[in-house]
Amino acid sequence: MNMNKNKLCRTLLLSSLLLGGTFTLSHAQDEPLVAGIEAAFPPWAYAQGGEYKGIAVDAMRAIAENQGLEVEFRDMPWPSLIPALANERIDLLVTGLNVTRERNEVLDFTIPWWENDDEVLVNADSELNVVTALCCGATIGAQGGSTQHSWIQANLVENEDIDVTLRSYEDYVTAIEDMGVGRIDSVVVSTDTAEDFISKGRDVRIAGTITQGQPQALAVSRGDPNGILGTLNRGIMELYESGKWQEIVHSYAPYATIRQIPATMPDYVRTYQEPIAGLGEE
Amino acid sequence: MVFDTLVAEFPFLLRGLWIGVQLLAALLALGFVLGLTLAVMSVYGHWTLRLFTVVFERIFRGIPEIVLLLLFFYGIGELLPLSPFLAAVLALGLRSTAYQAQIFRGSIQSVAGGEVMAARALGMSRLGAIWHIVLPQALRRSIGPWTNEYSAELKATSLAYVIGVVELTRQASYIVSNLQGNTLTVFAVVAAMYFVVNRLGNAGLYALERKLAVPGFEGRGASS
Repeated sequence: MNMNKNKLCRTLLLSSLLLGGTFTLSHAQDEPLVAGIEAAFPPWAYAQGGEYKGIAVDAMRAIAENQGLEVEFRDMPWPSLIPALANERIDLLVTGLNVTRERNEVLDFTIPWWENDDEVLVNADSELNVVTALCCGATIGAQGGSTQHSWIQANLVENEDIDVTLRSYEDYVTAIEDMGVGRIDSVVVSTDTAEDFISKGRDVRIAGTITQGQPQALAVSRGDPNGILGTLNRGIMELYESGKWQEIVHSYAPYATIRQIPATMPDYVRTYQEPIAGLGEE
Repeated sequence: MVFDTLVAEFPFLLRGLWIGVQLLAALLALGFVLGLTLAVMSVYGHWTLRLFTVVFERIFRGIPEIVLLLLFFYGIGELLPLSPFLAAVLALGLRSTAYQAQIFRGSIQSVAGGEVMAARALGMSRLGAIWHIVLPQALRRSIGPWTNEYSAELKATSLAYVIGVVELTRQASYIVSNLQGNTLTVFAVVAAMYFVVNRLGNAGLYALERKLAVPGFEGRGASS
C-alpha cells in the first residue's frame, strides 16, 4: 500500500519532467517575417472567429502575396509593439501607426498610406459643442501615449487661458465607457476609430473635427535589418495603383475617404529623404 | 448583440483558456522540478549551494511577474531569441520555482531528522534516505500549500499577453474591441472561466491529498 503511494509520487515527478520537455520543444522560432499587430484596434486590425482581420492585416497579406514575402502575424498589446520592433523581436509593425518624431528615432517608416484627423466625441444626448467640449472646465479623455493625448496636453492643458483637465486611458473603449457614465465630458480620437464606435452603435456623436493630416505608415526596425523597406514601399504603391487598396479599405470602412498614396511625408522622417527606398527607380 | 458575439466567440475564449492552461502546466512543472531540487539543496547542501538557493529565491520572489515577463522576452530574448510562450514559461516558471522551493523546504524540514539517522544506521546512503524516506512524506505534506501556488500561477498566466501570448485575457480583449464596449459582460464571463478552472484544479489537488495521505496521520480533517 505504502509502496504504491511512493510510486505514484515518483511517477508524478517524472511525468512533470516529461511534460516540461515537450512544451519546450514545440515552441521553436519560425522562419517567416513576423508582423506585429494590435488585434484590438478595429478597423485596422482585430480578431474575429479566430482569424486576424482588418484593413492593415488584409493589406499586408496582399502586399506579401504580390511581393513574394512570407509573413505571419503576431498580436501584442499596443504599448509592447514599438519596443518589440525597436528590439527586433518582431520584423515589422502593421497597424494604424502614426508617423511621429519620437518614433522616427527608433523605427524606420514605410511611405505613409493613410492620413487621419481627430474627432471630438461627446455623448449623443450631450449639449456640448466643439468649443465647449474642449474648454471652460471640460474634462477630456484620450489614450495615454497617443498623438491625441500629446496634442491636447501641448495645445489645451498647457495653455493657461483654456481651463481643461486631461485624463489618460489605456484604450479608447474604457474612455468612451467612462464618458457614458458621466466621468468625462469628451473624448478625442482619430477619425477611423470614431467612425468605428459610431457604426457599432455606441451612444456617441461627433461634436467637431480637429484637422491634423496625421500620416500613418508601416514600420520596420531602425536600419532595416531585413532589407525589406524597399519591397514594402513598392508593395504599398502597387496595392494602391491596382485599386485593391481602395477595395480593402471600403470593405472595412465603407465611408472612409481614400487619401492619395504616398500621403503627406513630414521632412523630419529619415526614410522620406530622397531617394526613397523602392520608389522612383522606374 | 453582446450575447450573440459571446456565443460566436466562445470557442476562441476556450482556445485562449487552453493556451493559459498549457502555460500553467509547463510553468508549474518547471517550478516543481527546479523548486524541489533547490529545496533539497537548501536543506542538505553544502553552504555554497545553500547560499545560491537563498540568492535565487530572494531575486525571483522580489520582482513583479510582469517585469520578469518583460525582462525575459526583451532582455534575455536579445541574446537568445525566445518565442513569447517559452519566455513566459521561463519567467513565470522560475518565479514559481522560488515559491515552490519554499513550500518543499518547509515540508522537508517537517520530516523528523531522526528518520534520516535511522535510515543511515540501517545502511542507506544519504541520497537514498532523502529519496526513499524524506521526499515521499514531504511531498505529501506539501500538497496543501501547493494548491495555493496553483491558484496564484493560474491567475499569473493572464499577464502573459503583454509579451504576445494570446491567452484567455487577450482573447477577451479582442471581443471587447470588436464590440467597442461591453467590458463588464465580457470580463465577467472570463472571470467565471478562471474561477471554474481554479476550483476544479483545487478539488483535484484536495482529492490527491486525501488519496496519498499517510493512514493515521493528521491531515486536512477528511483523512483518517
